[in-house]
Amino acid sequence: MNPILSFIIILIGIYGICTSKHIIKSIVCFNLIQTGTILLFLNLGYSEEGHIPIIGEQIEKIVDPIPQALMITTIVIGSTITALALILSIKIFHYYGSLYWKVVFDREG
Amino acid sequence: MIKKISLLIILFIMLILFIQMQFDLKGYLNYFSHEYFLSHTYKDTASSNIVTGIYLDYRLFDSIFEASILLIVVSGIVYMTTKEGEENERVFIFEKVKISNLLTILSRVLYPFMLMFGVYIIIHGHLSPGGGFQGGAILATAVLITYYIDPDKITKFSLIIFLEKLLFISILIISSLSLLTKNVLFTNFIPNQTSNTYRSIFLILLNLLIGIKVSLGLVSIFSSFLKEGRS
Repeated sequence: MNPILSFIIILIGIYGICTSKHIIKSIVCFNLIQTGTILLFLNLGYSEEGHIPIIGEQIEKIVDPIPQALMITTIVIGSTITALALILSIKIFHYYGSLYWKVVFDREG
Repeated sequence: MIKKISLLIILFIMLILFIQMQFDLKGYLNYFSHEYFLSHTYKDTASSNIVTGIYLDYRLFDSIFEASILLIVVSGIVYMTTKEGEENERVFIFEKVKISNLLTILSRVLYPFMLMFGVYIIIHGHLSPGGGFQGGAILATAVLITYYIDPDKITKFSLIIFLEKLLFISILIISSLSLLTKNVLFTNFIPNQTSNTYRSIFLILLNLLIGIKVSLGLVSIFSSFLKEGRS
């Protein structure tokens, strides 16, 4: 059930990107997609009786370590990409005077 | 209106396909890789933390490209926020907002402990939960709290970019040293016959470099946002 919920978060993010009228809202929806992806990957590697993936005494079963190793890099990259998008939105506001997609497209053309 | 309804229909079809895939997935899931990592990681990579063993040894190639993306994004942000000639004339937000004395004194007390905790997380990355990325974020918060202590602090962005480039090149060199000793790229350069204590030097070195790189990147991103928020 849990992977389906995290996929629903991804779908909400896609819907928000397609329909939002404000640039900041688009960036927030972009972050929603990223969060949903992280939850989805961590859910797929989870097992009920698994320990944390650190080798120690009396550990026979662990959760899947590969999604965790991939998601570490995803979190860092996601935060930097969000920062880049916010800086670009500041530049757009200085240049066009507005953060609404429609106004920006009107003033451009 | 028609656009939104058709979008909803497409998303609903995607959801149904995903649920169907979810039922198929149960037949493919197995636990061979877990057993493999549990029994082989300490012997192969000298790391107790399997996640660190994966991203610093088995999949070092991925981590290098992650570091390069961080470098590209930081240099892009710094390029977009700096303008020529007014590097030192900018006014930070913190100079206008009055900071309470309690916060200043408390951050003076906390600052060395935060630095120590970040370095601890980085250096013990191969033994306990943690590693370069997480410890780098803690180090970045420790460095950023100095804006409360001294609002007149000036961040030299050219120096940060130079250090980031230097760190990225040293990560590349250290990870490709194994071509000389083992004839394989992107793995531990210390030979397999030596004891695990010495082999973990490679992990500590790479964790330190990645941690400093991440913390420098986050500090420069946050400082450029502070500069951009001037009025």
